[in-house]
Amino acid sequence: MSVRSKLASFDNDIDFPRLWRIGAVVSLVLLLLSGGALVGRGLNLGIDFEGGTAWEVQAPDASVADAREVLTPLGLGNAKIQFVGGDNLRVQAEPGDDAGLAEVTVALAELAGADRTDVAISTVGPTWGDEILEKAQRALIVFFVLIAAYIAVRLEWKMAVGALAAVVHDILIVIGFYAVFQLEVTPATVIAILTIMGYSLYDTIVVFDKAQANAERPALAQKMNYTDLMSLSLNQVLMRSINTSITSLLPVLSMLFVGSFLLGAVTLQEFAYALAVGLGIGAYSSIFVATPIVAWLKEREPQQQNLRQRLEAQSARRTGQPVAATVSPSEPRPAGTAPLLSGRVIPPRPRKKGKRR
Amino acid sequence: MRRNGLASLVSIVVLAIGGLGWTLAAENEPLLGLDLQGGVSVVLEPTGEFDESAIPQAIEIIRQRVDGIGVAEPEITRQDDAIVVQLPGIADRDQALELVGQTAELRFRPVLQLLPPGLEGLELPGEEPAGEPDADEPDTDEPDADEPDADDEQGFGLAPGELAAPLQAEDPTESDPAPDEPTLTPPAGQDPAELTPPAPPAPTTGVEDLELTSSDDDDPDQPVTLGEFDDDGNEVARYRLGPAAATGEILSSANARIEQLGQWTVGVQIRGDRIADFNVIAGECFNGGPSCPTRQLAIVLDGRVVSAPSINAPSFDADGISISGDFSEGEAKDLALVLRYGSLPVELVAQQTQSVSASIGQDALDAGVLAGLIGLALVTVYMLVYYRLLGMVAMLSLAVSAALLWTMIAWLGSSQGLALTLAGVTGIILSIGVAVDSNVVFYEHLKEEVAGGRSLRAAIDGSFASAFSTIVKADVASLIGAGILYWLTVGPVRGFALFLGLATLLDLISSYFFMRPLALILVKSKRLQNRPRLFGMPTPKVDRGLAIDEGAPA
Repeated sequence: MSVRSKLASFDNDIDFPRLWRIGAVVSLVLLLLSGGALVGRGLNLGIDFEGGTAWEVQAPDASVADAREVLTPLGLGNAKIQFVGGDNLRVQAEPGDDAGLAEVTVALAELAGADRTDVAISTVGPTWGDEILEKAQRALIVFFVLIAAYIAVRLEWKMAVGALAAVVHDILIVIGFYAVFQLEVTPATVIAILTIMGYSLYDTIVVFDKAQANAERPALAQKMNYTDLMSLSLNQVLMRSINTSITSLLPVLSMLFVGSFLLGAVTLQEFAYALAVGLGIGAYSSIFVATPIVAWLKEREPQQQNLRQRLEAQSARRTGQPVAATVSPSEPRPAGTAPLLSGRVIPPRPRKKGKRR
Repeated sequence: MRRNGLASLVSIVVLAIGGLGWTLAAENEPLLGLDLQGGVSVVLEPTGEFDESAIPQAIEIIRQRVDGIGVAEPEITRQDDAIVVQLPGIADRDQALELVGQTAELRFRPVLQLLPPGLEGLELPGEEPAGEPDADEPDTDEPDADEPDADDEQGFGLAPGELAAPLQAEDPTESDPAPDEPTLTPPAGQDPAELTPPAPPAPTTGVEDLELTSSDDDDPDQPVTLGEFDDDGNEVARYRLGPAAATGEILSSANARIEQLGQWTVGVQIRGDRIADFNVIAGECFNGGPSCPTRQLAIVLDGRVVSAPSINAPSFDADGISISGDFSEGEAKDLALVLRYGSLPVELVAQQTQSVSASIGQDALDAGVLAGLIGLALVTVYMLVYYRLLGMVAMLSLAVSAALLWTMIAWLGSSQGLALTLAGVTGIILSIGVAVDSNVVFYEHLKEEVAGGRSLRAAIDGSFASAFSTIVKADVASLIGAGILYWLTVGPVRGFALFLGLATLLDLISSYFFMRPLALILVKSKRLQNRPRLFGMPTPKVDRGLAIDEGAPA
């Protein structure tokens, strides 16, 4: 039976706790890479954050060398000149006086064989970027507080901790991605990163909601420890996560494709990079970051500790092994033991009160 | 329950189609942002200390300036303390900056001479011949070559008996009332002196004195020729003015007020330490001295004469000046506003200017639309292959959401002036994924139940209930995010957040009112009932001989 048909027919029984350990290593490596790149290479900030002037014009017949030749006499010999999205020539100059702005515009228009007004110019003051960042940070903090409150009320506070940890993890890794590949950070990037948070949460909440529903069933909750319950819930909603991620990713990939290869709509491309990476990471983190954190927190509850000991005792009686006095939840399950209840079995749903139709 | 389902299904479809019909009928169209249609946008931020009320005032003044050059649909909005000015269709960045970025100065200039208002094509100050690059900053300008010659300097003594040209608007299209001649009078208690007839014009030295001085040459230390305009931009009077005698900073406040006779006047207070300066000018004008032969003192803002009251007293108290004339309430209030805030009440710095040509904007729009369509096609294929009939339900539900979203965007664009930017387009493209997500959550729930051995029919209600509670939780989290982005950020982020938020909201609505009833109807239909494969459903485990420890209710 192929993996896909297994998934589609709910036969999947993936041992998530074991994968979590791999995930922890993966996340750690990614986070270290991100941190290293941020410290080592820093971010390639666009003019919106650095301040300065950027010209952009469609110049199908010109080359970077041509542009440099034209601009050097105007004092822009060391400006950043590149082609973005096909034949869009982009010139970026440090913040300075606006004196030569018009000459540069005219020179570029001549080079491109276009009208002066076809040159897109954007000038940004040196403090503008700080302001965008400041506002984004403020938005982020308020967002965290409100979302944490919302999840705490609708689900529970431990889940809020897990969900937010996953969001922070995602944001750090996306920023790290930008640092590693030196992609230009623009306001579009900031938007994309903020969007990613929403996505990451959507996935995470789907998983948590399932776990919460499972935990409310005595038939399940009394038979397995919380880690296994989470693993079961993940197995049950895995296809859901995969499909929601795919359907979200398809439009983003289309943006990436159209933006970079077809029409040179640079802004689209800028959005799409961050979104594509973020969506992937968001799907991953809801399974490998948010969930294990909640499981770990829950296992610390005395009620769970008791349950765990009882379950250990039961299985020891069955297998004739001596009982370990207490098993710390972070300790791995002995290899080879299957989860106590596989995802294959659908427990009876409690009879609902009210009319049955 | 089922009746309800059908009713809600019908009503939401009617609503969606009605919305589209209304959009077409009302000719609502999305308003395209500058990055999609070309134009100049400037973000201005105040520097230094400023009053809370300064920002709305500044916006008002900028709006007047922009209206003055006749931009179609300018957008001037406030975001926190920043002022965002968007001028679609203007390709010249420098002109736009000049227009909005300068803190214009209010100047008091003595009137040397009254001239007939221009009858030739109206040339507004600040307008330049099109297509001529102009990178000059006005403040770095050399004074123009038309330095007044010695004749001008003292040549204002008038030959007695010469009469002034009658002052009246000679606009062929409209019969404007002759401009009122406001007077500047001492406080109540003193009888305002009789209005003196304006002094006869001085012989002009050349034709350039009759022409309106361009904004670049509006030098406070030189005589200039400026016009007074009505609200429609028609010139109603033209003045030859002497060098500025004072600027707006001598004023401490100005208020429109109503006198006993029901006349509107503007009360002006001069700063206590500057009243002496003001009285020097006032005395000069009152006596019709050489530098103020007409006895009128013009109030000039942004190269336009706002008012030119005659001076009716040799000296004034700092808080006892009133400008009276044939003012309507609105005129008095406007004049007071100009006097109070004539110079922008706060210094603004252009933090970000962007100019996008129409062709680049068009390309971006095309790319966005294309990306959206391709994305939609991919999602459609995926959903149809994976969920078959239910996938079709998902796409129909998306179509309903899309119709409602389009209605809203078009309405917001047409009546609320909310522009759709590329960021907004991106938000909409992304929302395709969001809208389908909720379908996936529901269908997977359903499949799980069916795999557990229930029939589709039995599973569908319970599945929807629990799936919908998940959808609500997840969507509310998204809405919180979008709301915060909308409130706390500036510029493109806002548009993005708004459209994403709208799409999320519509997702909730269409899930409940469209997806659920339609899925119910399909599942319960006799013809489709025993063909779970059509719904992309798994074969129940029971049939595959898998152990099951549950008696699933049939």
